Amino acid sequence: MTGVGRRSFLRGALAGAGAAAVTGLTVSADAATSTAVAFHGVHQAGITTDPQKQAIFASFDVIAASKGELAELFTTLTDRARLLTAGGALPPLGITAPPADSGVLGPDMPGDDLTITVGVGASLFDDRYGLKGRKPAKLTAMKEFPNDSLDDSLCHGDLSLQLCASETDTVLHALRDIARHTRGAMQLRWRVDGFQSPPRPSGTQRNLMGFKDGIVKPEPADHDKLVWVGQGNGEPAWTDGGSYQVLRQIRMLVEFWDRVSVGEQENMFGRRRDSGAPLDGNSESDIPNYSADPTGGAIPLTSHIRMADPRTPDTAASQFLRRGYNYDKGTDSVGDLDMGLLFCAYQQDIARQFEAVQTRLIDEPLVDYIRPVGGGYFFALPGVRDSNDHFGRSLLA
Amino acid sequence: MRTPRPLPAAIALVALGAVVAVAVWRPWSGSADAVGGPAQITVSRSQCGQGWTGAKTGRQTIVVHNTGDAAAEVDLVEMSSNKVYGEVEGLGPNTSAPMDVQLGAGRYAIRCLIEDTDAITAPTVTVAGDGEGGPAAVAVTKNDMLPLVKQYEAAVAGGVADLAVKTDKLRADVDAGNLAAARTDWLPAHLAYNSLGAAYDAFGDFADKIDGSAGFHPLEKGLWHNASVAALKPIADQLAADVQGLQHDLPNEQVDPNDLGLRAHEVMENALQFELTGENDQGSGTSLNTALANLDGTAKVLAILDPVLKPRDPDLAQVQKWESRVRALLTAHRSTPVARLDQTSREQLNGAVGELLELLAPVAAICEVRRSS
Repeated sequence: MTGVGRRSFLRGALAGAGAAAVTGLTVSADAATSTAVAFHGVHQAGITTDPQKQAIFASFDVIAASKGELAELFTTLTDRARLLTAGGALPPLGITAPPADSGVLGPDMPGDDLTITVGVGASLFDDRYGLKGRKPAKLTAMKEFPNDSLDDSLCHGDLSLQLCASETDTVLHALRDIARHTRGAMQLRWRVDGFQSPPRPSGTQRNLMGFKDGIVKPEPADHDKLVWVGQGNGEPAWTDGGSYQVLRQIRMLVEFWDRVSVGEQENMFGRRRDSGAPLDGNSESDIPNYSADPTGGAIPLTSHIRMADPRTPDTAASQFLRRGYNYDKGTDSVGDLDMGLLFCAYQQDIARQFEAVQTRLIDEPLVDYIRPVGGGYFFALPGVRDSNDHFGRSLLA
Repeated sequence: MRTPRPLPAAIALVALGAVVAVAVWRPWSGSADAVGGPAQITVSRSQCGQGWTGAKTGRQTIVVHNTGDAAAEVDLVEMSSNKVYGEVEGLGPNTSAPMDVQLGAGRYAIRCLIEDTDAITAPTVTVAGDGEGGPAAVAVTKNDMLPLVKQYEAAVAGGVADLAVKTDKLRADVDAGNLAAARTDWLPAHLAYNSLGAAYDAFGDFADKIDGSAGFHPLEKGLWHNASVAALKPIADQLAADVQGLQHDLPNEQVDPNDLGLRAHEVMENALQFELTGENDQGSGTSLNTALANLDGTAKVLAILDPVLKPRDPDLAQVQKWESRVRALLTAHRSTPVARLDQTSREQLNGAVGELLELLAPVAAICEVRRSS
């Protein structure tokens, strides 16, 4: 692609001694310093990528009129993602059209760590596109759990986009560009804008209940058995390199929460609020020792961390990769703040991992202070391997 | 309200001694002149575009610098096809602007357009190489558009005459106290207005009187909410009078040649904003019927623009494809109030109209009137 070539030249030029001095006109600081995350690969970027600060999670209903139009949609998504993640100026259209770019990121858009991760929902595999026999083996519509208050307009969808970057304008720019090029093929169903909080004062980000959230992560060495869908497991061959994505819009009833004593809060999570340490430890990285605390004297048996992950040999396979973002969506009808967590998890098998954990969490004490209202299950497609590849190639082949 | 775009000539000040400088610069373009910063190539009215060196195929940015004392417009033209590859409008004295272009092999020249001065075309520069050219089009001139404007004016005049017959009938219904007939006759009259292919300030004050805060919608509100004959009579009378006023005024209303291209997308922009949202609906539930009339108006404009578009817009077949899809969807749902559409139908409509609008926006850009002499 032209954009890619131009960007790599720019980086090359700037690396050269004194090359930045060519500025008779200015090269913007953003364009000069920002980075592009590699778009091509066996897996999509944005899954094991360190979470960037800003995100948009968007779910679309596909309205393409035929399988051919669906294929065009995937090709267009690939082209836009390739251009947007590489950065640089979009190809000029001369006098034949309005500007190619919204201009939100200036004339030379920075790469800005942008990742664009595409997933498909179970509903895409209905009668419309003849894909019934191609559905990933573990993909279903999102299940409603006993403590959920799901709003259908905030749930499900045929296709998910996870857009992540260092800056808010970059993800908004990407969403606008993609929507502009795909209007006739898909329509936005729901979306949640999220942000990562900086370490306060250190370590893992805090959620909007004030607790460190996402402390435990699978080791990279375990990604093949916990995150990536590979050959076998009853999966169709086209899914190789993909990953199941679970999105949950979990509203936090923060006003109610703020009226709860810190001791009760800590017992619900099982961690100290200030340090993130498990209640039997001193720092967030300490591993809780449940066998030394069989009655829950230190970490209550009903605490979130203990119910979610009892750390027994037979629950090890239910671990998954979390990539959640805090969200803030304004106010509700009684003037309370509508905010919470856009829970995002990647895994190999939703039933074995997310659903097993969520089932253990049914009726945990925390449920009075949170309200899962939306989300969906998706299958994040295998990566786009190279410049001749595109999203959906193996799916539609 | 949208500000009407000025004709390119109108933005130029009286030009005396206007001087335009042209430079090619892009730090990552790999050209030799990048190292020393932008080459300053100054050309006066008699030397427009001279000194354009380092031209090559592919992506590049040409920096145009006006060192004169009057505003100018600068086009980059491929001489054998007469296609414009880039333009900078309203370049003020002592300012510079980049022109991002993508050139294939060809014979190019800078054209300086300075008010009160014939177009100045610089000496031709032959560009050789393997790079592919970007999208370009032959500029549409006022002379190209004038006969089309006449056709459009005639079509609108015919449409307004038809409208006047229908608003007179509507007035007669209301005056006779027959509100059932008025409810029946309201729709054809409203559709007649909405198929005129007009948007925004097309009819000046008449637009608001006829189909804005007064006219059709207050009448609709009353007719579908059991208003009395006495309350509706003055509205119906005024509507019929305003339509007649428009009809009489029409010969005095001059359509700007630029408006035709703008209408091609603005009418459906209005339909998306006010009809597909249901915002304009005052009780009749006929928003989608209105949007269909808007599509008819758009199709009328596109048909008139066809001679100008055919050689210039490579996506014309796509425009037709999506116009047909929007028409089929609107026709299927024309009697359903927007709020009662199921989600899938609504998304199909929104998406098809959105896609059509993306394709109509280039129509407006291509049909923008440009000077070439």
